[in-house]
Amino acid sequence: MIAALDDAVLDELRAITGDADRVLANVSSRAFRTRVPAPFPVHRWGEHMPQVAVLPTSAQEVSEIVKLANRLNIPVVPRAGGTGLSDGAVPMRGRGGILVDVKLMNRIHEIDLVDRTVTVGPGINMLKLNEELRPHGVFYPDDPASYPCSLVGGRIGTGGWSLLGSRFGHTRDLVISMEVVLPTGEIVEIAEGGGRKLRKSSTGLTLKHLFTGHQGTLGICTEATLELVPRPETEFAAFFAFDDYMKAHRTTGALTKSGLATLAGVVLFDEWKLRYLRRDDEAYIPQPEDVRSVIAVAMYGRRAEVEPASKIVMELGRLNDGRYLGDEISQGDWASRHDRYATPLHGRTLDGQAVPMSWHCEDAALNYSVLPQVREEWHAIVDRYIREYGIFDDWGMFAYTNGAYKPWADYLVEIDVGIWEQRLDETNWDAWVRCKREISEVSLKYGGSMTACHGATREGDAELVPTEMGSSWEVVKRIKRALDPNNVMNPGKQSMDEAYE
Amino acid sequence: MTRENEFVERWRDNAYGCFSSGHKFCREVCPVMQVTRNENHTPTSFHASIVAMEKGLVDVADVADDFVHCTQCGACELRCPNTLFTGDFYRHRTETVKVVKAMRALMVETGNEREAWKLWNERLAANHNEPVLGEVDVSQEHVADWADGLDIPVGGETILFVDCEAAFYRTSYTRAFAQLLQRAGVQFGLMREQWCCGGPAAEMGYLDLARTHAEHNVADWRAVGAKRIIAPDPHDYIAFTEDYPAYFGDDYDFEIVLGVELVAELVRDGRIALTEPVERTVTYHDPCRLNKRKGVHEAPRELLRAIPGLEFKDVDRVTQWSYCSGGGGGLPVEKPEITAEISRRRVQRAQDLEVDALISACPWSERPLSEVGTLEVMDLFELLAQSAGIEVGGHTSAEARA
Repeated sequence: MIAALDDAVLDELRAITGDADRVLANVSSRAFRTRVPAPFPVHRWGEHMPQVAVLPTSAQEVSEIVKLANRLNIPVVPRAGGTGLSDGAVPMRGRGGILVDVKLMNRIHEIDLVDRTVTVGPGINMLKLNEELRPHGVFYPDDPASYPCSLVGGRIGTGGWSLLGSRFGHTRDLVISMEVVLPTGEIVEIAEGGGRKLRKSSTGLTLKHLFTGHQGTLGICTEATLELVPRPETEFAAFFAFDDYMKAHRTTGALTKSGLATLAGVVLFDEWKLRYLRRDDEAYIPQPEDVRSVIAVAMYGRRAEVEPASKIVMELGRLNDGRYLGDEISQGDWASRHDRYATPLHGRTLDGQAVPMSWHCEDAALNYSVLPQVREEWHAIVDRYIREYGIFDDWGMFAYTNGAYKPWADYLVEIDVGIWEQRLDETNWDAWVRCKREISEVSLKYGGSMTACHGATREGDAELVPTEMGSSWEVVKRIKRALDPNNVMNPGKQSMDEAYE
Repeated sequence: MTRENEFVERWRDNAYGCFSSGHKFCREVCPVMQVTRNENHTPTSFHASIVAMEKGLVDVADVADDFVHCTQCGACELRCPNTLFTGDFYRHRTETVKVVKAMRALMVETGNEREAWKLWNERLAANHNEPVLGEVDVSQEHVADWADGLDIPVGGETILFVDCEAAFYRTSYTRAFAQLLQRAGVQFGLMREQWCCGGPAAEMGYLDLARTHAEHNVADWRAVGAKRIIAPDPHDYIAFTEDYPAYFGDDYDFEIVLGVELVAELVRDGRIALTEPVERTVTYHDPCRLNKRKGVHEAPRELLRAIPGLEFKDVDRVTQWSYCSGGGGGLPVEKPEITAEISRRRVQRAQDLEVDALISACPWSERPLSEVGTLEVMDLFELLAQSAGIEVGGHTSAEARA
């Protein structure tokens, strides 16, 4: 087990916070900040523990902590909700470090209804934020499956993806500016150019994108100014069933290329997903056996826009023998989608026994044209590992529209793999990592990206980052080295140690 | 097998159901976590504790303080996706309140007691009622003082069970309830010797003490031939419908009646007439043990809507999953500052609605909510008694009693 930092360093941290209760070196505080919902090598839990967890309440405190870490060459691991599906918010194996947990920084600093922004601390949750925004007729539409529990800081760090992103944008499109503590401890304002409330600028370099989706390797967000969007007047959701995946695939193409501006998302479910839902999902409403693929479509906006557009969706959805599944499923299932995030909590072994399983959710970004082929290759990989190791289960695939405001060409593609965590040991964990890597290699082979939103920080992805980045990897390393000369900010993630070789 | 191993064995699969998914939907709905923002105080960490104990990473002493941070309100269980989406299919429900109670029991057994809880339960053991009057000891001699002048007999088929807080501290609550029943002509009596229900002792991990009190009370009920027990207090109702059946099995054949549901029935049947207009604007606090633990949220709202002249600004029961007074599960005994902050936030929510009173239906919530001091807090029974033209009497705090 990783040991706590020595008392002299803890005393310095206590002096920085001025509150001993916010410097947590006891074993439980460290153990319970060691993992996220991603599959976790539980058999070597102790090797992933931080050496201390600190709960700052201000950017100044974060800055002082990071300066201390630089002086003593101690890793810093930023953590907000710890709800990610990759390993950005947990220490690397054997490295320990100071885990900076920002959950106490959850205040709403300003709601500006004139220039349409809300400024918050990174520890606030979107559902809680929207409860406060509701009386004002506005909302913050960053809507991941983890909407009830993930926090703004983690969304920014990972470069989050929103279910409604095709209509309202994803996290990076919804963050207007932020305050960031750099790896050397300076507190800086990051925006498009200058101005904390401007959506577009060409001054200097556009740093905002550099500081969204860096997986905590370039700094810690301590405050964010976010977009306020008018609450949509109405919602329209429709589900269509198909007897063949390729028919559903063609219909997905037609829907996403329809040019309807209120289109918030199209989701394509494959045969394996339908089989899984039919087998093991209580919330699934049974459909005839000939239903092998389903499309979900959702639109948000003013009635004047959505109602006429819904007629076009109904026509397009029925192309290629699509069958509308009715209002109850369409409205109910869409509404419950946030919770469906958590559906795959049990899987089955090869002999059909139900066991509690952890969940791997692949999140590759892939173009429309390659979806059918990737689907076949991914399932073949998982099938091979299921047969060989007996601790995995294939829960099927989704493809979600991925481009902000541009739903037509690329998709967040998910294969859900169940992993029987209680059976993890070195052999099984290694098997899992190899399986994961093979899945990622298929994505790269077809010109895709390994991760649309979770971040390439988990084993099986991390080692392929230099390959995926290709000729730009050298730029990445130079930036990392320039901003983090001592390699203290979330070190080792995404193979960025290569910057120091 | 050690007690730790037995505990891990008992709760391991339940824990893995959470640990394997780790979604943490429970977190922002948890009243304690909303205040402390400390990941150790989340149900997710409680379940992770069990896996970590199995792996030899932590022992009871390491997690004892974490497990104090819970009011046993049950919000986490309702919000748990395992319960929501696999509940019927797998006959599964994530148990978190029971895990907290079991861990606290293990803390007592393994010498990891908390000081304030230890003292509280020593005083309970000595006096058989909870020390709700601070330095002043409570006693059996005064357990029915609240009923002065109400002419309530002892014994009978139907027994009114009075909670410690309601017997000694907020007696207006109990007087209002008893007089509403009398108004409707309901026949009921008091116990010969009424001890604490034992529920709070069980919540703090003092299982033997809880059991002793339960046995005494059941014996007292049997001695007077009671068949039906009326429990106005939601905490007692939990003890009588969850703890007692677990202690006594099939022999436990009493009908347990929840006070607010009985009064709602009496009003519905016209046996209590609400004739006096109450010209006030109020909102309702869903007590956790009614709304979250027992799914009781209709009856109190029905009663509030039946009061003439009252403007009732409702907040729906699901939104209130994340509300709490912080008064339950022994939290105010060990961590009074957290209870106070939970209550402050709850009262602020009410004040945002521009009401002139917050109405609750649980005396354990009414003390910390009142102590915020910025908004009047009344019990639903007190308000109903007012509308029924009843002079309630009694007091709403220890000070008023003195």
